[in-house]
Amino acid sequence: MKNIKNILFLFLLTYGIVAQAQDANGVFRAAGSPENPKVSVSWNRYYTHDGITDICKKIAAAHPQLAKLGSIGKSTQGREMWVLTITDFSKGKPENKPAFYLDGNIHSNEIQGSEMALYTAWYLTETFKDIAYIKELLADRVFYIVPTINPDARDNYMKAPNTPHSPRSGMVPVDNDRDNKTNEDGFDDLDNDGHITMMIRKSPTGRFKRDPNHPGRLMMVKSDEMGEYEMLGNEGLDNDGDGRVNEDGEGFYDPNRDWGWKWQPNTIQGGAYKYPFSIIENRNVRDFVMAHPNIAGAQSFHNNGGMILRGPGAEEDASTYNAEDSRIYDAIGKKGELLIPGYRYMIVYRDLYSVFGGELDWFYGGRGIYTFTNELFTSYMYFNRGGRGEDGPPDEHYEFNQNLLFGDALVPWKEFNHPQYGKIEIGGFKKNFTRADPGFLLESDAHRNMSFCLYHAYHMPKLSVEEISEKNLGNGLVEVTAVIKNERMMPTHASQDLKYKIERPDYISIEGASVVAGMAVTNRDLNITEEQKNNPAVLEIANIPGLGSVTVRWVIKTAKGYTIKVDSQKGGVVSKQK
Amino acid sequence: MQKLFFCLPVFLLLLHPAGAQEYRNHAQLSQKLKSLEASSAGLAKLRSITKTAGGKDIWLMEVGSGDRSAHPAIAVVGGVEGSLLFSQELAVGFIEKLLAGAKTDSIKNLLATTTFYVYPSMSPDASEQYFASLKYERRGNTSATDDDRDGKTNEDPFEDLNGDGIITMMRVEDVTGKWKSHAADARVMVLANTEKGERGNYQLYTEGIDNDKDNAYNEDGEGGIHFNKSLTFDPPYFTPGAGEHPVSELENRALLDLLHEQANVFAVVTFGPANNLAEPWKFDRSKTTMRVITGILSGDAQINKQVSELYKKSVNTKDAPGAAATKGDFVQWAYFHYSRLSFSTPGWWVPKFEIPKDSAAAKKYKANEDKNTDVDFLRWAEKEGMDVFVPWKKINHPDFPGKTVEVGGFKPFVKSNPPAKAMDKATSDHTKFLIALANIKPEVELLNQKTESLGNGISRVTATIHNKGLLPAVADIGTRNYWVKLINVSLTLDKEQSLVSGNRVVVVNNLQPGESKEVSWLVKGKGTVILEAGAPQTGLKKINITL
Repeated sequence: MKNIKNILFLFLLTYGIVAQAQDANGVFRAAGSPENPKVSVSWNRYYTHDGITDICKKIAAAHPQLAKLGSIGKSTQGREMWVLTITDFSKGKPENKPAFYLDGNIHSNEIQGSEMALYTAWYLTETFKDIAYIKELLADRVFYIVPTINPDARDNYMKAPNTPHSPRSGMVPVDNDRDNKTNEDGFDDLDNDGHITMMIRKSPTGRFKRDPNHPGRLMMVKSDEMGEYEMLGNEGLDNDGDGRVNEDGEGFYDPNRDWGWKWQPNTIQGGAYKYPFSIIENRNVRDFVMAHPNIAGAQSFHNNGGMILRGPGAEEDASTYNAEDSRIYDAIGKKGELLIPGYRYMIVYRDLYSVFGGELDWFYGGRGIYTFTNELFTSYMYFNRGGRGEDGPPDEHYEFNQNLLFGDALVPWKEFNHPQYGKIEIGGFKKNFTRADPGFLLESDAHRNMSFCLYHAYHMPKLSVEEISEKNLGNGLVEVTAVIKNERMMPTHASQDLKYKIERPDYISIEGASVVAGMAVTNRDLNITEEQKNNPAVLEIANIPGLGSVTVRWVIKTAKGYTIKVDSQKGGVVSKQK
Repeated sequence: MQKLFFCLPVFLLLLHPAGAQEYRNHAQLSQKLKSLEASSAGLAKLRSITKTAGGKDIWLMEVGSGDRSAHPAIAVVGGVEGSLLFSQELAVGFIEKLLAGAKTDSIKNLLATTTFYVYPSMSPDASEQYFASLKYERRGNTSATDDDRDGKTNEDPFEDLNGDGIITMMRVEDVTGKWKSHAADARVMVLANTEKGERGNYQLYTEGIDNDKDNAYNEDGEGGIHFNKSLTFDPPYFTPGAGEHPVSELENRALLDLLHEQANVFAVVTFGPANNLAEPWKFDRSKTTMRVITGILSGDAQINKQVSELYKKSVNTKDAPGAAATKGDFVQWAYFHYSRLSFSTPGWWVPKFEIPKDSAAAKKYKANEDKNTDVDFLRWAEKEGMDVFVPWKKINHPDFPGKTVEVGGFKPFVKSNPPAKAMDKATSDHTKFLIALANIKPEVELLNQKTESLGNGISRVTATIHNKGLLPAVADIGTRNYWVKLINVSLTLDKEQSLVSGNRVVVVNNLQPGESKEVSWLVKGKGTVILEAGAPQTGLKKINITL
């Protein structure tokens, strides 16, 4: 039966039936969504790497002027790590526009980041023609969207038995219990249902009993009450005979402890692998980011808990974020709380845990890119209550499963004869519940998180040559003063960038004029300037502040016409002729 | 032996003027390694673990017999600083002497139970500058870097202004300068001590032109990432040579990848500038109580001291400077992040110069009141007949029109690399030390094995696991690192046998020197069971037990 389904699915993919738009007479537009997309995607289910590949290819094929598909490299097991470059290719070169980088699924079990990244690519391309805001956004910025940066273990999560929390790692085997063997004692899917659920056992000294309202749920008894069951952990055996169960399974390392800013080894930071970027998938991301210095904003999608996180990751790194940059983070993060109900804007080390070597730390600390990590999905979305860090009632997962999913997310208790534990029961939530968005909530969560990214991307620098004025100095000399404006919140260089000179200065140049002298004007009214003696035609300006401007000046020999050009790594390239 | 060194006849020195070509370039070093492998009768195995950005092989020579990955191992790493050419010679010389000694029973037996992983040259791109037409102490590889982070690459290199093929210094007479001549030797430039009322009259720069007119001299020349500055312990982010992040380079990655796989390594010996063999690292509790540990742990400090004593039995450390470790360097990586015992020595240092007691001989020396090491170095070198200094000589410099500019100063490499005649002795001494270190390796043995029948087909199997080495199975720093293996004691049964009590595998977290642990099982069945104990870094012992 499974095979027939697969073949049918493959057939549909191959012949593009899934990709065909509806008859235009048969649909009516819902506000803010494409009524008849060229690429039809169901946003109430998840996709394997094959599924992601297919959607990426269809988006690129359907919108050649807006989307190009590339690969940032191959994963450990040889899967392509797709990147969709989304911009209006008819409006300038992508590398000359400020870029927003978006990825998902670094933790292999945190799957919905991929669908939400794909949704973003899909939405931008499908609404471009109808929504002016999107059209303008794609005219002067570019999106690099990498739906999954852990494709091998994503497929393992979906295809192999797992819990909602596993593998999290990638697929490089590690000897976690230090016995010189790798992955020799992982989970065992004892009931062969593709899910690793819980093992419980009746016990006269157990401290748990069944919840009378939700038999699938074990609840702790009161201090003065006798229990009925004990918990034995996740489905598994002591495969290697060392007296421990499931202590060395898939992986394990944490791909989000592998990044090159304030990296620490596993003795200090659990989950670290060998050294920064010792994980191939992360190295591919690094190479891509290093090759695209126009990336000014970035977002990574995780799950779960409804958090909009920013660095510093580690308490020891608190001084890396100064007030100036925090102000920008705060403005974007607070907006996110409005756009995504139930989500909270938080600082990793202060509000979550203190952790070294995270992706967002490298993006900001190592590249000066304003970066957020969203923990997608929150139990607030069950009944629009709780959330924002407050727990709802302890049985709400069960209530939701029963009444809105009609029990689909739960494996009922079933007896099993365990070689080490004897007669036990196996059951509990399936791997696709509690962390991944339930199907009907996925598109809504995707849209809201996308809107947060677009707000962030909107506020990347937008530069223009605001003013060019001339003053005749006599003797055939003209003083040219130019004002370069940045009309968005982010500066061309974050303060971390300025501190370490991560990216080169912005170049503001005058072309087509014979330049006698050039200078930055620090106070135009009082004529305070700083002359650049070497190569004055190309002024090197450390930064163009957000919602602000920079004034420069040249003394030139009279010229017929000239061009003022601004060339900023993260601010893009703009010019104006005079 | 040190004495003999001072008494060497002068004619020998004249035959080998200092800084002469006794050091081998990469091609010669590679050739030497290949011939050592070829004549090693299988004791040595050479392979290239990667090629640098400059296309040079990074070599690994494995020395040992039998299954080398199953024996406790010492990793020996040279060339962590490209300017320390001697460190490469020391590593290669060690291999040569070890193999030459393999005919003796003691070395033959040692190699049958111990492995040496020798990585002789980690900075071949940089070291090659010694042999280039323009010679200077280069530290970076050939990856292109923007050292001053101004958006331009290699725009302000050195220039050989006096045309002597080497880069020295230039001094500019200028009342705004902070430098002056040293009272004991006018050639030596020192910072004027304003607290003592001294005034500077020179500016001091490296030899070259300010090509990019940014008032900094030669701040962005050729090269690259500096191996010994680009590892993960306390890295100096975004400073020249440190890279865009630690471990960005192929050679760093290849070495670290391999060392992580070489689980049998119990100690790393670095031939580099730091010297914790002459002066062991000291325990400082305040550096070990935070989450990020920055000081040696107390048990390991004790071992460092013990190994330093061992070192001093082979190497005379009388004049050795206790050179500190530096940010992002390899010796600290090997300890703090690789979690193994980590030792480092430059292998050679300039012997201390003493003004002769004889008053006639002492006359030519002015008192070196502040014990300036440059002054002493010049005096020592002159006594040895070595030509280590380029006399200051006027040149015309385009950046300083109308000013007196002189080029001169110490020749590159001379302060940290020994003259050829001192190399063999230092190599012999360090070979002795490495053998001595291997001889105290952690090593488990199985003792007191007994089998008691409890009747009805049940036997009690008992054994003691003992570390007979003088080093622990796991250093304090490695107790929580999953890359450091634990001692596994396992009992292998056949299908007819079963365990009544005990696990098939017992994990022993550590065995200190001389420490032992008793294990026992109740086994049901007849025949033979196999008892194995050990970890890669302690060796594995195996016995068959008849029930």
